[in-house]
Amino acid sequence: MAKPRRSRRTLTTIVVLALVSISIITISERGGSRIASGLRSVANQVFSPIRSGFDDVTRPISNFFAGAVNYGSVAQQNAELRHTLGQLRQQQAEHAYQERQLRQLTALLHIKFLDSLPTVTAQTELYNVSNFVASIQIDKGTADGVGLGMPVVGSGGLVGQVVEAFHHSAVVRLITDGRSKVGVAFGATQQLATAQGQGAGRPLAASFIAPGTPLHTGQVMFTNGLADAEFPGGIPVGRVTAFGTPPGAGQISVTLRPMADLGQLTYVDVVLWEPAP
Amino acid sequence: MTGAALARTALVLLGALLLQLTVGLSIVIGGAHPDVLLVLPIVTALVAGPTEGAVMGFVAGLVADLFVPAPFGLSALVGCLVGGAVGFVVPYSDRSPWWVPPVVALAASAGAVMLYAVLGAVLGDEQFLKLNLGAIVAVVAVTNALLAVPALSVLRWSLGLSGAEGRRAAGGRW
Repeated sequence: MAKPRRSRRTLTTIVVLALVSISIITISERGGSRIASGLRSVANQVFSPIRSGFDDVTRPISNFFAGAVNYGSVAQQNAELRHTLGQLRQQQAEHAYQERQLRQLTALLHIKFLDSLPTVTAQTELYNVSNFVASIQIDKGTADGVGLGMPVVGSGGLVGQVVEAFHHSAVVRLITDGRSKVGVAFGATQQLATAQGQGAGRPLAASFIAPGTPLHTGQVMFTNGLADAEFPGGIPVGRVTAFGTPPGAGQISVTLRPMADLGQLTYVDVVLWEPAP
Repeated sequence: MTGAALARTALVLLGALLLQLTVGLSIVIGGAHPDVLLVLPIVTALVAGPTEGAVMGFVAGLVADLFVPAPFGLSALVGCLVGGAVGFVVPYSDRSPWWVPPVVALAASAGAVMLYAVLGAVLGDEQFLKLNLGAIVAVVAVTNALLAVPALSVLRWSLGLSGAEGRRAAGGRW
C-alpha cells in the first residue's frame, strides 16, 4: 500500500510544480515581464563576476573546443579587425543611402542619421545563450546610458535591439530572432517593407512588397526611420539574396542576408537613440 | 534532504550553470550548443526518483530561465516534466547496466528539446519549430549522453546517496 501512496504523492508534486511553472509563464507573459526582468537583472549582477572569473579559467578549454591552439589572442585581433571592417562597410553603405536621400529632395531632413547619433561600444559577453533565441549579452548597461529599445549596430549593419537592460549589461535581440521585425525601405522610390527574423543562422524574410515592385538581387534594405519607428533611418539591414512571387500571392517573397556578420559580434555599438514611447 | 546535501546540490547546480555559460556556449555544432543543465533532472530522477527529478528540473529550469530571453518559466516546466517522467518510466538501480544512464539521457534530452520547441510555439514563438531542430536535438542529446555517467557520480555525492543505497534509500527525503 505504501508504494501507490508514494506514487500519488509524487504525481501530485509533479503536477503542482508544472502548475507553478505555467503560472510563472502566464504572469511573465501577461504584463509581469517587469518581475522577470527584475529577477534577471539581479541574477546577472550577482552571477556576472563569478561567470567572468570562471570564464578566465576555462577559456583555454573553450578555445580548444572552438578549434585552435593560441586561438584567444588571434581571435581577439581578428574580432577587432572585423569590427573595424564592419564599421567601414556600414559607413560606405550609409553614404550611398544618404546620397539617394538627398537626390530625392524629400522632407527627410528631420530624420536623424546614424552619423549624428552618439554610440557606446560594447563587448559581447554571451552569444546565443539558448538554442532557440537569437540574442547576445553585452557588457554595457543602464549605467552606460544603454536603454530598452536602443538599436545595436556593428560588423556592417543593424545587429538588433536592446530588449533587457541591466545595470552593467544588456540583452540584445538579434534581427534574425523570430520575434524581430524591422521596418525597412529600399530602391529609388523608397519602397517600404518589413524584415522579419526566422531564427539564428537563418536569413531574414521581407514582407509587404507588392508584386511588380522593382527589386534586384544584391539590393540593400535600410531601416526606414518613419515616425514611431523602432529604429532611426538609414541603417543597413540586409541584402536581397532571392525573391519571387508565388502563384496567386499578393506580395513578393523576399529573402535577405543580414548586412552585419552576426557570427562575429565580439564588439558592437549601441546607438543611444530610443524609439518614441 | 539534509542541509549539507542541499548545499552540495546547490553547488552542483552553480557548477553546471557556469559550465553551460562558458565551455557549453563555445561548443557550437551545426548552429546548436549543448544544454548541460538538462542532464541534472534526468540523472537525478535515475538515482533518486521522480519527485527529486521533478524538483531538480524545476529549479534548474528556473535558473536557466534567468539567463535566457525566452518565456520565463518555460525551461522550469520542461525540466520538471522531464525529471518526473524519467523517474516514473525508467526503473533504475545500481545493478542496471552501465549504458542505461547514457541511453536514458539521450532519449530524455531529445524529448525535452522537442517539448520545449512545441510549448514555445504554443506560447507564440512559432519560430521554435522552424529552427534546425534536428541539429539542436542531436547536439543536446549526444552531449548529455556523454555527460550522464560523470553526472551520475556527482549527483550521488551531492544528494548524499552512496552507491549501495541507490534510489530506494532516497524515498521521501526531499
